[in-house]
Amino acid sequence: MAKVLQRHLRQIWLDVIYAIFLRELKSKSSDKFGIAWSVVSPVVFIFMLSYLRGRMDGGDTHGIPTFFFMVYGMILVQFFMGLVASVSAAIKKNKPLYAFRQVQPISSILAITLFECLVKIFVILVIGVMCFILQFDIHISDPLSLLFNLLRVAIFSMSIGIIFSLLTCFVPEVDKVKDLLMRPMFFISGVFFSLQDVPQEYWPYLTWNPVLHAIELTRYAVYPQYGNAGVSDLYLNVFTLTSLGLALACYHISWKQAISR
Amino acid sequence: MILLENLTKYYPSTAGKQFVFENINFTFPRGKNIAILGSNGAGKSTLFRIIAGSEYPNKGQVRTELSVSWPVALATGVHPLMTGRENTRFIGRVNGVANLDDYEKKVIEFSELGKKFDLPVRTYSSGMRSRLSFACCISIDFDVYLIDEATSVGDLQFRQKAKTALLNKKNIANIIMVSHDLSELELFCDSAVILHEGQLEFYDNLKHAIDIYKGL
Repeated sequence: MAKVLQRHLRQIWLDVIYAIFLRELKSKSSDKFGIAWSVVSPVVFIFMLSYLRGRMDGGDTHGIPTFFFMVYGMILVQFFMGLVASVSAAIKKNKPLYAFRQVQPISSILAITLFECLVKIFVILVIGVMCFILQFDIHISDPLSLLFNLLRVAIFSMSIGIIFSLLTCFVPEVDKVKDLLMRPMFFISGVFFSLQDVPQEYWPYLTWNPVLHAIELTRYAVYPQYGNAGVSDLYLNVFTLTSLGLALACYHISWKQAISR
Repeated sequence: MILLENLTKYYPSTAGKQFVFENINFTFPRGKNIAILGSNGAGKSTLFRIIAGSEYPNKGQVRTELSVSWPVALATGVHPLMTGRENTRFIGRVNGVANLDDYEKKVIEFSELGKKFDLPVRTYSSGMRSRLSFACCISIDFDVYLIDEATSVGDLQFRQKAKTALLNKKNIANIIMVSHDLSELELFCDSAVILHEGQLEFYDNLKHAIDIYKGL
């Protein structure tokens, strides 16, 4: 009969996250397009929209080629929305697996976050390769800031996802409200416009949104001449840490109740 | 030995908290094959799932130094879109099986799925699904197996095979079992726990326990 290893707690966590990750991979690749579709579909969407918009006004938006202005915005907002959507379904999705004592909801959350992040990294790489082939001039003056912004978006998106995920276990209707709340994010996060285009008296209605900060700061990081008017690095940091702390605290007090319903 | 310490479990409902257990302290003795007896809704399955760690008590804890299986009943954790082999490896990974290839071989042999083992579980009949999950569980070395009417899976031939496998296990491991089939309990168990009105009572002699249970 199969022997069972005496595993260290950390090893159990890694094994479980790896197993759920593989499972996620498998269940995504059930049709003919397979896993490739998770990458191809956003790439086509981002690329087409940015390309068209870039061709239409042909030039610069506040010192950035319009194509790249759009690309960074679209990548980040899609990253945010994709991650929130999949993480907020994460606890319920793998509910049957909690029959195994080794599997806890956090493993499911982490595995799904990891999967989603990897997909987005591939999306970014593919867009990069396409730009290279089409001989667009890729210019990144501060790559570290760019990566740091991606990381912050990943963390606060996951945190928001965790909070929604817990809430839906107690109140299923939250799911519908979440859809309603997420829909305008695409339009108010500065994907299609820059905060600099908006009259200053309206800024307070937009600058609560961390995704807007992330997008504008990323554009600033790759093209410093774009400027960072109205957005703040500190706000993004504080929001990221606060949301992560809140999400983990909520998880800690409520996960057992959340899955025993 | 499995210790239940100050165990409290309730389900919230519109009519207030529905208590299944309240502040229970109990010890499942070592080296016994235990039947859990109780009427419908007494909380047998809940107790079962708490021991297995599939569900968590609202207060208190379960302590044990033994390796306990997951509750083998339905097709637990089997993903319909993955093949039998992929599901087997998933369960093996989660449970920390040392040699996955070897484990895979044992499962395929025991479940008698043959070529179907490499097809998605979606295409299996319900009997085949339970055969797969039973094989996955019985092929791992646990100290305690939690069996929830599991010998009633599959066709007559497989049922016989499951029974023999479990009887063999009895010599090296222990079984905790929930079933309404008394003859089945008599076959596998030697002692019993009666669950009545939120209280647990251990009886060393199964026959004696069944008599009391019938009189309740």
